[in-house]
Amino acid sequence: MKLGTVRPIPIAVGLAFVATVIALVSTSTSREGVALCVALDVAIACGAVLSLPRFKSSHPVVFRAALTLLGLDVALFVTYYFPSSTNFNLSTGAAMSIVLLGLSFLTGASGQISLGNGAFMGVGAFVMAIWANHHTTTPIVITLLIAVACGALVGLLLGLPATRLRGPYLAGMTLAFAVAFTFILATFSSWTGGDSGLQLPTAVTAPRWLDGFFAAGTPPLKTTTLYLTDFTILVAGVAFFFMANLFASRTGRSMRLIRDNDVAAELVGVSLPRTRVVAFIVSSAYAALGGALLTLIDNSVSPPTYSFALSVTILSLIVIGGIGTISGALIGGVIYAFSTNVISWITTQTGLNPQGNLASQLNGIIFGGLLIVTMIFAPFGISGAVRHLWHRLRARSPG
Amino acid sequence: MDPFLTSRIVTDVLGGLTNGVTYGLVALSLVLIWRSTGILNFAQGAMPMFATYVGFALLSYHFGYWPCVVACVIAAVLIGGLTERLLVRRLYGKPEINPIVVMVGFLIVLEAVAAAIWSSTPRSLPSPFSLIHWQLAGRPFALSPFTVYEIATALVVMLAVAMLFRFTNLGLQLRASALAPEVSRLLGVRVGRLLTLGWMLSTAVGVITTILVSANFFSGLTPTVMDGIFAYGFIAAAIGGLESPVGAVVAGVLLGVVNQFVTDFVNQNAVIIIALAILVVSLMVRPSGVFTKSTQRRV
Amino acid sequence: MVTSKTRRVTVTGTAMLLCLGLVTAGSSMVSAGAATAKVPGVTAHQITIGATEPVTGIASSGYNQVAKAANAVFKYVNSHGGVFGRKIRYIIKDDCYGTPGFGCTGVPSTPTQTHALLGIPVFATVGSLGTPTQDSVRALLKSNGVPQLFVASGSRDWNNPHTYPGLFGWQPSYNEESKIFAKYIKATFPGANVCFLGQGDDFGQDGLAGLVAGGIKPLSADLYSVDDLVATNGTSIAPYVADFQTKKCTVVVLDSIPGATDAALGAALALGYAPQWVISSVGSDPQTVDAPFVGKVPTDPEIGAITFSYLPTTTTSSAWIPWITKVIEADPADFPGFTSTSVLNGNIAYGAAYGVSFVEALKATGKNLTRASFLKTLQSVTFSQTPSLVPLRYSSSDHQGLNSGYLTTVISDSATKPLTGIVYTADSSTDGRVTVAKTLSHGIPSWLK
Repeated sequence: MKLGTVRPIPIAVGLAFVATVIALVSTSTSREGVALCVALDVAIACGAVLSLPRFKSSHPVVFRAALTLLGLDVALFVTYYFPSSTNFNLSTGAAMSIVLLGLSFLTGASGQISLGNGAFMGVGAFVMAIWANHHTTTPIVITLLIAVACGALVGLLLGLPATRLRGPYLAGMTLAFAVAFTFILATFSSWTGGDSGLQLPTAVTAPRWLDGFFAAGTPPLKTTTLYLTDFTILVAGVAFFFMANLFASRTGRSMRLIRDNDVAAELVGVSLPRTRVVAFIVSSAYAALGGALLTLIDNSVSPPTYSFALSVTILSLIVIGGIGTISGALIGGVIYAFSTNVISWITTQTGLNPQGNLASQLNGIIFGGLLIVTMIFAPFGISGAVRHLWHRLRARSPG
Repeated sequence: MDPFLTSRIVTDVLGGLTNGVTYGLVALSLVLIWRSTGILNFAQGAMPMFATYVGFALLSYHFGYWPCVVACVIAAVLIGGLTERLLVRRLYGKPEINPIVVMVGFLIVLEAVAAAIWSSTPRSLPSPFSLIHWQLAGRPFALSPFTVYEIATALVVMLAVAMLFRFTNLGLQLRASALAPEVSRLLGVRVGRLLTLGWMLSTAVGVITTILVSANFFSGLTPTVMDGIFAYGFIAAAIGGLESPVGAVVAGVLLGVVNQFVTDFVNQNAVIIIALAILVVSLMVRPSGVFTKSTQRRV
Repeated sequence: MVTSKTRRVTVTGTAMLLCLGLVTAGSSMVSAGAATAKVPGVTAHQITIGATEPVTGIASSGYNQVAKAANAVFKYVNSHGGVFGRKIRYIIKDDCYGTPGFGCTGVPSTPTQTHALLGIPVFATVGSLGTPTQDSVRALLKSNGVPQLFVASGSRDWNNPHTYPGLFGWQPSYNEESKIFAKYIKATFPGANVCFLGQGDDFGQDGLAGLVAGGIKPLSADLYSVDDLVATNGTSIAPYVADFQTKKCTVVVLDSIPGATDAALGAALALGYAPQWVISSVGSDPQTVDAPFVGKVPTDPEIGAITFSYLPTTTTSSAWIPWITKVIEADPADFPGFTSTSVLNGNIAYGAAYGVSFVEALKATGKNLTRASFLKTLQSVTFSQTPSLVPLRYSSSDHQGLNSGYLTTVISDSATKPLTGIVYTADSSTDGRVTVAKTLSHGIPSWLK
């Protein structure tokens, strides 16, 4: 069947009509029906937009916006039906994917190594908690922005000396910062709550209008977790959208030039220090955003979470996902969200004693092993491997 | 004399020296590997840790301390060699980030496997010399027989490595392989073999450090015993310059002394913060390390 | 370049999305009509409870036995038919004491593990360990109506019935323990220089407050950080001990976890410093504390230290000791190699004791088990046949739990013995009043034997 002559817009309108009818007929509450219609129609509209010929190259920003919208639409749709523990894992995965995005940009796009993004996450996380405790009336979004700004500021402070450093010395400096971070927190323990950390003054609860989507008697856990998860995913969507545009912009291109050949970049007129610092600031701002969201999700923040080991985890996740790519950050986030479930599944399948030594270290063994194997055999991560495979398949079947 | 020897300053200097030599040894191993293979070995603490566990597993077969030490060194040499052959070989010529990530992964795996086999409960290692500090006129002195043994061993190892590199043919070949592998090959040097030897040597130096460090009363040998020392050793190597073994050792010792003074006169939290500050300042002034002969990249 | 193939893919994908929508909408209709669960975690044949514990990491050595001992008690009760025909399923999740690091790579945070427990669902959390870890999930458990029972920590945070009606402590608070220490120190070492080293959270802070309320003014009071302890492999404690020696303190009070106790004892040993140690029950278990010194010193440096116990020591003739030994021996999965001649340690005794408390509370609630009826029973019944020295009692205004114990002294690398055998009671109020306990617990219930 040749679809080459099919016009997407009329088909999309037809499908939307059918979808609306079916949704209205088959849902239990009217609010749910409306939401389902909206979700399906948005998906179809985005799909139609994305399938327009040569759209990606003529209107790249709109294309990316449509793609993001489609992704958000699907995500919001499925989270409605997921159990709350899955949603909770997704929300931490989404927060982590934002952090990974920042590091992906820094390492992949500008070739700088940072072992300190866990500490930048901590900056955002603690600013969020401290501000919320002292200014309880500030809306969440504003507090998030404040946390991001602080993260950017710290990124600037660290990025300035970083411009002059090469590979291992940059790694060393960021490592020292990551190790020192928990001690900096301890020094200001009256602000940061010492070993115990801080709790948010009021737990986040789902707004009233969300309750209308569920049958009466639904436990608050479900609605609150759903609200938090969707909020985090929305913020992640916005973050991904910005990053996609940044990658493609002039700044992104100059960064890639520096990564590949910094001498050539300078000859062309790219300001090395400035571009490097910008990359650092962006990466730390993203990390701070992820950390602040994590505080929101957990309703608490504690210093030991933001140790050097977290920076290592972040680096590992983006390596496995795919350095320098956006999809790599997404993949890394998913892995972070569900790795413990997978590990416990493996533990039960192999019949290991869940309290025994081997089972409790399985996380580390698999994680570290994956890191080694990925870096040696697939240095561009899962994202790179999939891309490679896709190209190989396309090369075989023309058109 | 006694009041001077037990005074605060002397106590801090000697205590700092004890820690400093371990940082210096770690920094030295890092420099050895960097100079020979151009790789930053994040598993520099974990590989010897694993070798120490293996060597001291012999304790349960009623072997004494010194035979166990020998077993540790053999295990370290094997681990170092195998790591270079199987893992590191594949990383030459790749972008900077690859070896860092692989060695970090190796670190995680080694610590997890050690904890899986031997659990993370601290393991007490016997010590050949008493850990109890000498008392001078009723006041404790900063050193004990064991810490003197620790400092002496460290100095001997550093000296041995220095003499190996400077005065032996093997040392010359090692340096040549690192600096100009192709030329060395043409001259008949077995470069591959020497790189493996470099890793073996570095891990052996590391295992001595681990054995010295694990024999304390506090917790002894655990899978994460070398993590903190690795961090400071790494900082010392970065300050001193990854190209200079002497610089690494000096920086390590000085860092140990500075840390001790900071702990005493400020507080414990400040130690790593001040170390970070020193690192940043020194890297601002000399971005490739204090003791590196500056090599401008001329275009 | 967008080819017809891409268009095909897009349209197909959208159609698939439609189908997905239909299927899930249909299934949601079905599940919306499904009956809601009666009591979460409770069926006719099973009760599911959970806990977050340090299975791996710095706090795991010793502490990882606590929940396992409770699990052994539950298995024993299950093997005798359970409680009213319901067997107890205890799900333990690792949170690495809330300190994720290289020793526990990838271990999720306490909130994540607690969410996982809530998703199972569990009837309640029983015996979750740690002060900062449990503080961080108080609000979560409360907003979901899940009781947070018998938190394994001596913080006073668990005694807040007004804000957290489902939250219950179990062991005596650090504050109460310190008051009893203070009474002893004042009577036995009048006028001595006392120094204090405590953990930098509730543990040390509340403990210090208790000492001060009891009338002791420490010459030097320091708080150590757990992060420091882990990062420096214990050497961060030495400077504090050296300072105590310089100040010539003859009595040193430690509110420390076993790792820090070891560090302090080791530092003192190296410096030739031998004060009278007074160590909190949290970090004084001889088997745990002596492990690093075995083979390095002729005598265990902890011998002679004074500590506190609210459970009978293994040297006494309490009938619970052989009972617990029997229960642990019957659970080789959790305790491989434990035989009838093995000596109980403090961690095992603790876990077994709160396990018994939970089982007795279940029994007292009756067959008709709901969260509300369970909590009501817990706050109205006095459990006088428990392993603890005094009966376990809660009220609607007091959720702390046990508040009494006796002073013991460490006599070997595996045991302690009571100093005088007098059981003292303190409370968490601001005064340091310590009284002699009036009623003691007695015996094992017949249905548990």
